[in-house]
Amino acid sequence: MTFDDIRESAVMAFSTLRANKLRSALTILGVTVGVLTVLSMVSIIQGLNRSFADQIESLGSNTIFVNKFEPSFSPQKTQEELQRKELTIADAEAIARESEAIAAVAPFERKLSETVRFKDKQTETPIILGVVPEHSYTMSQFVAEGRFLIDVDIRERRNVAVIGRDVVNALFLEYEQPIGKDIKIAGNVFRVIGIMEDQGSFFGQSRDNSIYIPLTTFQKYYPEVVFPDFVFVIIVRPKTRADVANAMADITDTLRRRRGDRVGEPNSFGISSQDALLDVYNQLTGATYLVLTAISAVALMIGGIGVMNIMLVSVTERTKEIGIRKAVGATRLSIMSQFLIEAVVLTGIGGLFGLIIGEIVSVLINTYSPLPAFIPIWAILVAIVVSGGVGVVFGLYPAWKAARLDPIEALRFE
Amino acid sequence: MTTPHVQTDTQEISHPFSSLIKMRDIWKTYQMGTEELHALKKVSFDVTKGEYVAIIGPSGSGKSTLMNLIGCLDTPTKGEYWINGEQVADMTDDELARIRNKEIGFVFQTFNLLSRATALHNVELPLIYAGISSTDRHEKAIAALESVELGDRVTHKPNELSGGQRQRVAIARALVNQPSILLADEPTGALDTTTSSEIMNLFERLHAANNTIIVVTHEMEVAERAERIIMIRDGEIESDKKTR
Repeated sequence: MTFDDIRESAVMAFSTLRANKLRSALTILGVTVGVLTVLSMVSIIQGLNRSFADQIESLGSNTIFVNKFEPSFSPQKTQEELQRKELTIADAEAIARESEAIAAVAPFERKLSETVRFKDKQTETPIILGVVPEHSYTMSQFVAEGRFLIDVDIRERRNVAVIGRDVVNALFLEYEQPIGKDIKIAGNVFRVIGIMEDQGSFFGQSRDNSIYIPLTTFQKYYPEVVFPDFVFVIIVRPKTRADVANAMADITDTLRRRRGDRVGEPNSFGISSQDALLDVYNQLTGATYLVLTAISAVALMIGGIGVMNIMLVSVTERTKEIGIRKAVGATRLSIMSQFLIEAVVLTGIGGLFGLIIGEIVSVLINTYSPLPAFIPIWAILVAIVVSGGVGVVFGLYPAWKAARLDPIEALRFE
Repeated sequence: MTTPHVQTDTQEISHPFSSLIKMRDIWKTYQMGTEELHALKKVSFDVTKGEYVAIIGPSGSGKSTLMNLIGCLDTPTKGEYWINGEQVADMTDDELARIRNKEIGFVFQTFNLLSRATALHNVELPLIYAGISSTDRHEKAIAALESVELGDRVTHKPNELSGGQRQRVAIARALVNQPSILLADEPTGALDTTTSSEIMNLFERLHAANNTIIVVTHEMEVAERAERIIMIRDGEIESDKKTR
């Protein structure tokens, strides 16, 4: 097979496509949808991965989380989990006391949204975090202006607040200095003492829409911890990365004892390091990958069946043409490659459209939805190879059928 | 050019490669259920270079089967067939394709042009499969179209041409690769009287230019233009004689 053969085949392929515009367009559409599906899946997963990796990085590398619930990305909790005892500040203090491997312990409690007012301005969205001074260190989140909470704020249950950039923007005018002003959180007056550094967004959710108040003050106003609005978490920072395992073992011992977990029974609390979180995440994405790959495969197969169908029709319609070509000297290989190339041209065009639309969709997702999307270079190669591959696989049988036609029969065909 | 053309199977094969076409004791048998149908029986003849031969016979006589065999579209059940010194009776499909490309130029009753391709592309087709480069191809195809007086119709598609013009495109396609034999199957069957005689005149010119031509027909008028007529009946050669 020479380059001329291929060019001849490609020219004939395009001429056939032009001759059957609607039919070709529909077939191409099938492949486009298939490739688009593959790209969307890759794009979403890659976007999630990147975003999540950034998030993990920003937390530092060796933080341990202790929670009433097992680490999971699902909002669904089991009945047993929901009936567990709450963790307490005393638990946090015990952990800090009993382990040599720990540098800092910072319990915090969170309420998802609360009404906050300053003068005539109001916002209902800020997350209220009841924290301790160590929070800044364990979470690697620092103040940009003013100061963070200190021990005396906790001890005296002061009504003081450190606010995030979004809260500043929602409540204060550009020229106003928030520090020293009194804001109302659910009707209670708090004095602003600091403004947090910008932390950007995660999964489209801003991390700057938070208000940090002393944990003791938080518990005064919100004595009940009601899932899922409220969550109590203890963050533990081991001394070094090498201490993570020891620290986790110590924490587990302390908490099992304090919570009265019987020997042989599982923990009545969840404990996880960032590595464990990553594991959970990887498991989750692994399963997701599998499902998405299956979806993509089905989509591509439907596209491929379309191609096969149309190529079979094309072979039948062009029986006479095949006869003529054979009469003037086309070998089986020539005929076969002609129809294969035609199928690949069909799917290739489909792949190209899929790629273009995929890029556009990816940009749109990034712009207009909270989901991060990202198409890596290798996905573009995958799209090209996959669309070409679909053409070869599903074009093979029709091409073979064309190649083995008997020239006499084919010439007689009307 | 005086060798006798009538051969019988009892005759000695003295010079196997002296003829362009040499058929010896060719049989073509089809299995119809339990019965054997002999489309061709012990057919033997020679065609030498530059001859103009007509094969004539009523429908069902086996002349189409013979044409398919001569044209290497099919292989005989039994017998030997040399074309230009090559034994083709036992060739595979792809070897036959090569022989058709190199040795045979087909002209069909219904022209058999690719409808979506231009006259030029149609004529280039055998050259593509011969592996000839696109510039050479272009030149040769233009020359072939000019030789059938269609130099001004190269970019026309078949449906933009008259029947006679289409048949001339087909003849240009048949000649472009300089084959040993021009094999025409009822070349005037789809044409009116005027156009038919135009095409037959063209064949005569090609014959005068030393092309070997075999015309398969059922019309005596067409056959009589040839210098030799082979008559087929019931799968056998009934007569083989010169017309002049």
